[in-house]
Amino acid sequence: MDNKINITSSMNNLLSRFTRRFKDGSIGTKLSHFIFGAGNIYHKQYIKGLLFLLLQIGIILFMVLCPEINNTPYGYKALLNLSLKNLSEGGAFDPTTGVFTHGSDCKLIILFGFVTIAVIIIYFILWDKNISSSFKADNDLKVGKKPSSFKQDLSELFDSKFHVTMLTPTCIAALVFTILPTIFMIALAFTTYNDQDMNEMGTNLFYWNGLNNFRAVFTGEGSLGIEIKNRFMPVLGWTFIWAIFATLTCYFGGIILALLINKKGLKGQKIFRTIFILTIAIPQFISLLAVRNLLGEYGPINGLLMNLGLTNSPIGFLGLRPGDSERLAKLMVIIINMWVGIPYTMLMTSGILMNIPQDLYEAARVDGASTIKMFFKITLPYVIFVTTPYLISSFVGNINSFNSIFLLTGGGPAYTGYQAGGTDLLVTWLYKVTIDQGSYNTGAVIGIFTFIITASITLLTYRRSKAYNQEDTFQ
Amino acid sequence: MKKIISLLLALFMITCLVACGSDGSSGNKKGSSEIVIWVGEESAEFYQGVCDKYVEEHPDLGYTITVKGMDTGAVAGVVTNDPSAAADIYTTAHDNIGKLASTQCAKPFADESLINQVLADNPASFKNVIYSTLDGKEYLYGVPYISQALFLYYNKEKVTDEQAQSFEGLRQAAQAAGTKAITVTGDDGYNMSFALLATKVDDHSTSVKIYEGAEAVSGGSKGVSNCQGDDTVAIVRWLQEYAADPNGFKWASSDGWDADLRNNGALAVIGGAWHYNAAKAALGETNLGIALIPTFTLTESAVEGLSSVSAGDTYRGGTFADCKVFMLNAHSDPEKYTALQDIVKYLSSKEIQNESYVNCLNVPAYVGASEYIKSCYESSSVTESQYNLACMQVEMAEWGIPQPFLTGTLNTYYYSKNAPAVFRAMIDKTAYPTTGDQILEETESLEGVRKGLYLMEYLWMHGLNPSEFPASLPEQA
Repeated sequence: MDNKINITSSMNNLLSRFTRRFKDGSIGTKLSHFIFGAGNIYHKQYIKGLLFLLLQIGIILFMVLCPEINNTPYGYKALLNLSLKNLSEGGAFDPTTGVFTHGSDCKLIILFGFVTIAVIIIYFILWDKNISSSFKADNDLKVGKKPSSFKQDLSELFDSKFHVTMLTPTCIAALVFTILPTIFMIALAFTTYNDQDMNEMGTNLFYWNGLNNFRAVFTGEGSLGIEIKNRFMPVLGWTFIWAIFATLTCYFGGIILALLINKKGLKGQKIFRTIFILTIAIPQFISLLAVRNLLGEYGPINGLLMNLGLTNSPIGFLGLRPGDSERLAKLMVIIINMWVGIPYTMLMTSGILMNIPQDLYEAARVDGASTIKMFFKITLPYVIFVTTPYLISSFVGNINSFNSIFLLTGGGPAYTGYQAGGTDLLVTWLYKVTIDQGSYNTGAVIGIFTFIITASITLLTYRRSKAYNQEDTFQ
Repeated sequence: MKKIISLLLALFMITCLVACGSDGSSGNKKGSSEIVIWVGEESAEFYQGVCDKYVEEHPDLGYTITVKGMDTGAVAGVVTNDPSAAADIYTTAHDNIGKLASTQCAKPFADESLINQVLADNPASFKNVIYSTLDGKEYLYGVPYISQALFLYYNKEKVTDEQAQSFEGLRQAAQAAGTKAITVTGDDGYNMSFALLATKVDDHSTSVKIYEGAEAVSGGSKGVSNCQGDDTVAIVRWLQEYAADPNGFKWASSDGWDADLRNNGALAVIGGAWHYNAAKAALGETNLGIALIPTFTLTESAVEGLSSVSAGDTYRGGTFADCKVFMLNAHSDPEKYTALQDIVKYLSSKEIQNESYVNCLNVPAYVGASEYIKSCYESSSVTESQYNLACMQVEMAEWGIPQPFLTGTLNTYYYSKNAPAVFRAMIDKTAYPTTGDQILEETESLEGVRKGLYLMEYLWMHGLNPSEFPASLPEQA
């Protein structure tokens, strides 16, 4: 209800702002509603006015002339193409000249469609800015001030509006490299974009598919339907179990290690710290591949066990063969992950431990508190308070922990007939579905589900944490 | 001052970002004076030399030629991903032609003299798989220059030449060595073709058909296939027994098939020429034996309940007899078209294929190459194992068929629509999920094997699991 009121009042404010500016503005401001920069030119701000005008002309030409890249147009044609209808199926070839005319490319069509929408949004932002600029000049004149010159506007960009200068490239980069690809990927979840099916049908085209890809998760329809229906919940469940264990083992393991290393009177603290930090210095994938080789079928661990007569055949520690124990593989990845994860927490906790006010401990000692009591009443709450955001980001990071699983087990042990193996997380499964199978639409659906899960957990836990609610109140 | 520094930093970052853009060196940009060719990594240096010579001999060519080494197994994926960034000429296995043509990443050849050369030089079986359709017309899309087929690598230290002739002999050697007889380099349709395409030694016959006659008969939406014959059922049951034998067949270990060879995990492996270096590294050149894929004899239990096969029938492991081809990038500048075709004609000529064999061990694709291979051995241009490799590959090609495709990448059904997983489930005698909640519960009994083969055949023809198994399966398809 509140949201509804907010939206309505925002719309009213926006409308009244435009009405007021049109009604109260000079002729120049009124003209600015139709011709960009007219108000600025009216107020003799020629350079600014011309810049606005050029931008308007440029965008209109872009929309009307529809420039093409690889036979795919931008502009109004890109908006029409977004329906993914009336597409050109095949290419045409002229054997005498070697000219090959390509058919439609749906990936580019969708991308260019969204770029065009972004350009339209920019057009309206510029429209508003050009009216504001003119209206500001009107108001300046009313109070006896001279409208700012182009030079003054420029110097403002380095002074009171320096934040605008610095943020503009960042915003553009975020739009180009983050927002547009994200929207593109979300859009794919609603299409039939599946490499295998398209190749087999001998087509380069795909179409909108409504919510069918999402429905497949529950009904088992489509080319990966059985896979999703039968493996989504087990993979999701294991993803959570993995994330919880990987986070907590590394977190508490790191704290314990930090406490041990920072223990007063321990000799060679720096050496111990350096040794553990070395595991961070060595690239993670090298550590993981080394462990994989150690535990492999012909690895030294299996060799040792067999030579000692403890086993007759190699043990599938990492579930690399179908039929290997899934539980053992899961246990092993959690244990091995501690090797690469604990040093990070240890490093951070060491810093926190050194910063705990010593007077807290002194006061506790005076009150007769035991070492254990001091740990649970002072050390642990302090560490948890400071590291809650880290704990949350670590949990989310572990949900998306690609390296540990992919490099150690490859998602195995494999399930006959399925892409998702026994230790696959959502993210490694996503990799197999998209890269190995080329099912980009299904991959996008899994990606959206993963995002919803991680975003919800992050928001809920962080907003309920003391680190967020009682930022300055730890005592 | 801080603001100026911040601004300069921002400008620096933007400059770096812009500088990270494409250098436009892919060679297919309009107006570019460079022609880029992608070949296998092992052959790049050789073909660069050949192309340099070609440029020297053709001063009016007007282009420079750059040859780059690529993983030919991954080229099709790289090209379809971004064809505009791919080379003007690229090389790949012929079974990718359908995919590359249907996704408009490949441009047909139209030069009459080149087409005549291709038709005159190559085996008739290749001609069926290097053409594809565009706009309703048949065009030549791939020019063969390397042939490839599966054969056997074995450990000469533990397996005699005679034992390497049959699966039974290999098992005997494995019993003595206390290990497994044989493994494969992968469990996909290509590598498992040794079993599915096995043919009777007496007359080279098999009832297996893959997509044959699809346009004439409407058996399946993607073509007609048959792998439910008694001989196939018997072969699957034989392989089940052989895999269950402690000294029989094993899947490649998680450390790789070469680790199996190196660590006495298996005495032999079925592979191709592209596995030669790894096999040599695992066993050493002196211990590396090369032979035809062995024969096997059907047992009493394998033929039990089957009417048209008998115990004692001998089969030889089969193979896909494929070729690597030169293809043209559809995004290449049309102005280069004539030059590109001339270059491909030169590179695929018998002379260059012969040179490629001597320099890079690429087995020529043209008919009658075995004579040249023999002459190379006699003149000591190649070692004994290199000679054997080429001979066995040429001979195995006679026991195989090229991977067929009709439209698009029909053969992906053979590979990726879970048909290989069904086959593996049968060999391992495990259950297999078919559709929804239906499961092929057992693949051990005669009915289980028949159901598994029905499932594979259905997948090949339709690309989907059947909604249900028919009430009764044909005893002899």
